[in-house]
Amino acid sequence: MATRADRPSNPDEVLDWLSEGRLTPAEAFALFRTLLPAERNAGAVRGAGARKARGVSGSNPAEAGDRRGRRNKGAAMPGRGGPVGEDSALRSDATAGDDEAAARAGRLHAVLDELDGLIGLDSVKQLVRELQAFVEIQRRRAQEQLASEAMALHMVFKGNPGTGKTTVARVLGRLLKEMDALPKGHLVECERADLVGEYIGHTAQRTREHIRRAMGGILFVDEAYSLARGGEKDFGKEAIDTLVKAMEDHKDEFVVILAGYRAEMDYFLMSNPGLKSRFPIQMEFPDYTSDELLRIAHHMCEQRQYRLSPAASRRLLRILEQHADGNPYLGNARFVRNVIERAIRRQALRLVTRRTLTRADLMTLEASDVWEAATG
Amino acid sequence: MKRCIIIGQPNVGKTMFALHFAEYLGLAKARIAFAEAGGRRWEAAYSMAAARTTLTSSAPHHTRQLQSLTLELPAGKGTKHLELVDTSGLVDGIHPDATIRRAMAQTLAAVREAKVILHMLDAAALGAGGAVDTIGEVDYQVAQFAQLRGGYLVLANKMDLPGAEDGLARLRREFAGHRIAPVSALHKQGFDEVKAFVWRHT
Repeated sequence: MATRADRPSNPDEVLDWLSEGRLTPAEAFALFRTLLPAERNAGAVRGAGARKARGVSGSNPAEAGDRRGRRNKGAAMPGRGGPVGEDSALRSDATAGDDEAAARAGRLHAVLDELDGLIGLDSVKQLVRELQAFVEIQRRRAQEQLASEAMALHMVFKGNPGTGKTTVARVLGRLLKEMDALPKGHLVECERADLVGEYIGHTAQRTREHIRRAMGGILFVDEAYSLARGGEKDFGKEAIDTLVKAMEDHKDEFVVILAGYRAEMDYFLMSNPGLKSRFPIQMEFPDYTSDELLRIAHHMCEQRQYRLSPAASRRLLRILEQHADGNPYLGNARFVRNVIERAIRRQALRLVTRRTLTRADLMTLEASDVWEAATG
Repeated sequence: MKRCIIIGQPNVGKTMFALHFAEYLGLAKARIAFAEAGGRRWEAAYSMAAARTTLTSSAPHHTRQLQSLTLELPAGKGTKHLELVDTSGLVDGIHPDATIRRAMAQTLAAVREAKVILHMLDAAALGAGGAVDTIGEVDYQVAQFAQLRGGYLVLANKMDLPGAEDGLARLRREFAGHRIAPVSALHKQGFDEVKAFVWRHT
């Protein structure tokens, strides 16, 4: 710099000038008073500007331009918005199918992205990819009039609670729908108490009811091993028989997923030899490592627009490590979710009496919140 | 970690207050992180008595760097961390010593990031009414700057000395509109009000 200004222009320069002996501390504070709030205000304005800009791009300026243009030409407004809308209005019916296929491919990608977004579960993701490839190739073979295997997509999910079984099942339902393997792809969750009835004949009725609801989607039987628990005379066996019968009768119309703890599920499948062959796909859901759980925690916070302070993050990791040593059935990701949700309430309690709150205060979960949430 | 900074003119008792306040809040051993303006950092642990004799002095400008004490305070079932930062004294005018000037710049830099500003003045010297006015231009500027921020508390120190009551009365006039807590850093008097204030603002 050849010439120096007669006054510092930012707070950092004030500090330099002060140490060079060009300002007195009193002058420095006076400058701070004018410069620091300005700095903060500038930040606020920048933030607002950015939000505004995002808002405009979200409402799609191209669309607005299109409309104006068309109005000038006196053309009719298309039903669908956006720049694509104009084209598709002019298109013939023959290409509309391609459009639909492209939309479907887009949705399929969205579902796969969601799957990839799940933390950990590498083996599960691999298996889902395999499945996707298999379904896709079978469909192409059918198109070419080649012999295609009847798709038995019934599965067994084995893993501790909170390892992502239900989440994966839900994603899978959507995936199979986008791939045309299932017409609806919804998930019907049930457990022993939902399927087993109170008197003879009641069980079959209740089980069929659930199967009917799951038609076109997935029937997810949680803790399925409990169906075999009561022995020969238990109604659980009747539920299994009804299920197997329905699987034969409505081969490609719905998918059954049996889920439960690994050891119990292994025993369950062993004790029903017929079952094992009917559930060719077996997915293992390993427990999450503490690092993965921490990443899940961060992800959960992000989704809720909170964040963990570095200290809170360390504290949580320590808590998770302690739990990992203790109880394997502790609930894994579910435990993390409960801790985060409780920490959010603790944070609210901590902040509610405060007079001044910054945006950062409202977003940050401190170590004390996490600690109280995990222990209290 | 929330930062609570103690500022004021030289020799008003900032270091003594920092040590005794930390002790009052339950710190048994002073583990102090020093940060020189030049960038040198080091840590040292003292017993409270040793810290008092080493770090404080009756001569001004004994403290020439940031000295921070980290306090772990019980808050509910968890703990909260508080960094109590003792600073080099601020003077009016331009100090001839470059080291002290740099230390003051460092003080100001720390003020920017502080959650709570404890501004200390010597009430006894004020009451004595010496030839030199003991409320400096810098004190007024600090007050004007700090009132824009949340946690600003004026500490009228050396209340144990004679004449301090007059000094306090004058401070209340000069710093009307600001919160003033009379304390005696040496005898740990009036600390509960400061504690309550720091508690609320961290």
